[in-house]
Amino acid sequence: MASPMQIDVAGMLRPAGALDPDPLAPYRGALDERSAAHLLRRAGFGGTPDDVRRYAAMSVGDAVESLVRFPSETVAPPDVYDPTPVLAQYGPAGLRALSRHDRFEVLHTTQIESEKSVRAITLWWLDRMIAGPAPLQERMTLAYHGHFTTAAIGKYVSAKNVFDQNQLFRSYALGNLRELTRAVSKDPAMLLYLDNGVNTAAHPNENYARELMELFTLGVDHYTEDDVRESARAWTGWRYDRFSGEVRFVPRFHDDGVKTFLGRTGNLDGDDVVDTIFAQPQCARFFAAWLLNAFVYNDPESALVDGVAAMLRKHDYELAPVVSAILRSNVFYSPRAYRALVKSPVEFVVGAYRTLGLPEAEPRTVLALRTMGQWLFYPPNVAGWAGGGNWLTSDTMIARQNFLSGIVNSRNVERSAWLGSLPMQPQSASRALASGILQDDASPATLAQIGAFLEGAGSSALGALSPENFAERASGAAYLALASPAFQLS
Amino acid sequence: MKRTNFLLGSLSGLTLVANTDHVFARALAQTPRPGLPGAQDRTLVLINLYGGNDGLNCVVPHGDSRYYQARPTIAIAQSDVLAIDAQSGLHPSMRSFKSMYDAGSVAIVQGVGYPNPDHSHFRSTEIWQTAAPQRYEHTGWLGRYLDDANLPASNLFNGVALAQVLPEVLVSYRTDVPSIANLGQYGLRIDSNRGTAAAFSSVVRDRSLPFRSPYLGHVMEIEDHAQRGSQELPRLIGGYKTSASYPATPLGRSLALAAQIVGSNLGTRVIYVQHGSFDTHVGQIGVQARLLREFSDAIAAFYADLAAHGNDRRVLTMTFSEFGRRIAENANHGTDHGEASPLFLIGGGVKGGLYGSAPDLSEANMGNVRFSVDFRSVYATVLERWLGTSSRGVLGGSFSTIPVLA
Repeated sequence: MASPMQIDVAGMLRPAGALDPDPLAPYRGALDERSAAHLLRRAGFGGTPDDVRRYAAMSVGDAVESLVRFPSETVAPPDVYDPTPVLAQYGPAGLRALSRHDRFEVLHTTQIESEKSVRAITLWWLDRMIAGPAPLQERMTLAYHGHFTTAAIGKYVSAKNVFDQNQLFRSYALGNLRELTRAVSKDPAMLLYLDNGVNTAAHPNENYARELMELFTLGVDHYTEDDVRESARAWTGWRYDRFSGEVRFVPRFHDDGVKTFLGRTGNLDGDDVVDTIFAQPQCARFFAAWLLNAFVYNDPESALVDGVAAMLRKHDYELAPVVSAILRSNVFYSPRAYRALVKSPVEFVVGAYRTLGLPEAEPRTVLALRTMGQWLFYPPNVAGWAGGGNWLTSDTMIARQNFLSGIVNSRNVERSAWLGSLPMQPQSASRALASGILQDDASPATLAQIGAFLEGAGSSALGALSPENFAERASGAAYLALASPAFQLS
Repeated sequence: MKRTNFLLGSLSGLTLVANTDHVFARALAQTPRPGLPGAQDRTLVLINLYGGNDGLNCVVPHGDSRYYQARPTIAIAQSDVLAIDAQSGLHPSMRSFKSMYDAGSVAIVQGVGYPNPDHSHFRSTEIWQTAAPQRYEHTGWLGRYLDDANLPASNLFNGVALAQVLPEVLVSYRTDVPSIANLGQYGLRIDSNRGTAAAFSSVVRDRSLPFRSPYLGHVMEIEDHAQRGSQELPRLIGGYKTSASYPATPLGRSLALAAQIVGSNLGTRVIYVQHGSFDTHVGQIGVQARLLREFSDAIAAFYADLAAHGNDRRVLTMTFSEFGRRIAENANHGTDHGEASPLFLIGGGVKGGLYGSAPDLSEANMGNVRFSVDFRSVYATVLERWLGTSSRGVLGGSFSTIPVLA
């Protein structure tokens, strides 16, 4: 049968082999460094060799528990540009009264300031992923960003709007999916991006109503055009006032008539639409497939999807117990799930920083991510990033490898404590690198290559290893390990 | 007033093409016509005039008084227009392009667009590139062409984008299209870490890995392309001697590289180039004049270079822009986002002249130029009659072709 999730399955590959029995039952095995690193990559963005060893010493239950329990908020927010005060000075009438040229100047300036601010927010977010206290919370925030997409482009979506939406996603990281869907529907960035803020009884706009079902909760073929129209009517009345920064429900813009939506009839409003959608078995299947694609492997089997869907319904769409169960399951630790996902550019970049133990991203990382195909806060369209095999083309690969080359050639790499304390002995240093960066997912030949590079063997250009050249040589060797195929995969 | 150079199959362009048409296209691809190479030796160069090129000041309806009423400060004076006939003419900065038109190597298709036009740059660009106005499609129309065309999988340059980031039009599922902003930056910077280059090559090709992954084959293939492609391209095209003096503009540099790629016979079928930004909300006159002059001069140099190497009949160039602009100028001596606009087909196989209907500037259209030729009809024409393939699968439907190519 067709994939239950409305994603392009082209470019999304399921691992070979058949599903093992009891895939969602708790895994009874013990963690080792490989499986601990696997858990850290999937539930976060990877970690240093010390992190991996610490998790490998825990039981599966304790390890997962430490990832799903987020510490209370301690990270200070970045400076965020908010155009509201500038716009409030004029008000709608004042802005209209300006000459076309002056109005353009005002709006253009707010746009430029917003764009600068979005770059700063991006770095702030990357630093949270790299060194923040709750990697899984950031992992989910990123997943929501690619799912309930909003781009900071056009339609007056400001830096403040996208930052507030980012915080909304963070606050629901392992919260209730239905509540999140209700909340994001009334979020300023979303009201602007998908036009639900200009949807009125007199002039219904179906854009949000359609994407809510097609891309966010059900997938095509699980609703009719009538459902789209009736949902749009139910959503009428929500406004975002960019002159005051307030979201309001305006009763006179709301269509108070009787609607029939997915078989339910009444004077429905937007929340009723969300509740009706979440009562559909297909909605649970849709999010089950979404979670499995994010955490386990792509194009999951129907049986697996049904199992996770049942958990979602049982827990009334609360994510914490469902994500915990997935991260503790047999299928999660099965060989079929191991290295079965392509790292997104953000996972790749943040993974490199976290693995080396570097504390913060360099500003050029924002552009590097863009050339790798994942420009944060600017997803390509409302369907988000295509993912899977679609991440990798020869240019995005060049961008990935050149990013690694940049990181090991920067002063930043000197801040890696564990690289700095590698033994000055080619064999043991190369083993430590292969284990710390790749969990030994490299061939003996690669290990030998890295060892020979450290030693300077067979190369007149390199010269013999010495205390003077060891630090530079070690970062070159770390680069070789990072460049290897396993590091592209999660 | 309204003048039609030929009758299109239907206004929307959505008509069934008889099966024989497809057979004919295949036959055409296999038997070269005099002077035209077979499909396997042909290249399409697609130029994205991004930002929304104002069609009315580009192909000027100088015989229509309503044009002058709607644009009191930015209309092109009748005496300045490079007249094609009593109704239409080209922008005065397109002199070299006008010479090519006069020589019969330029076709102008007027009024190209799509139903329910979107006025957002981003969405409309996406629609033009994916050829999917009614849904969100991940692949581009030329990406789908490359996937379906049975081109040699060993060739890393079946399609090439001369851009910083791969444009959606060349996104495909099975064909890895390199995008090259400039030759100097296209490549792995492994050498900045002196001495890692040799080890790097074998590490990324490690085939004895102690795990399985459904993506491992893909990762290895792409690693190989990235490394081989960026090493081989400069060598493969290094022997070409440019035979024209290109303007020192980004478009001039891109087209010089495009001519080099074509002339080096890499088997490249599609090259993407971009030029802009044409988003002239404010002070349009100077900006558009400069951009159109750059376009005109770069195209003239490109075809001079191609002709000097005997390649001009092998290369069809097509332009597009995400939308045209409003009929009336705004208060800022510019124009806002509009709808349909003309596009150009240049070079190989083109039957020069004006196609489609001249823009209807009547009030009924709420200030916009409505489309009269569906953009997918133009794509179908290029696919069927230039690239020699069926357009139905690529475009997700049958669209009538336009008799604009020999």
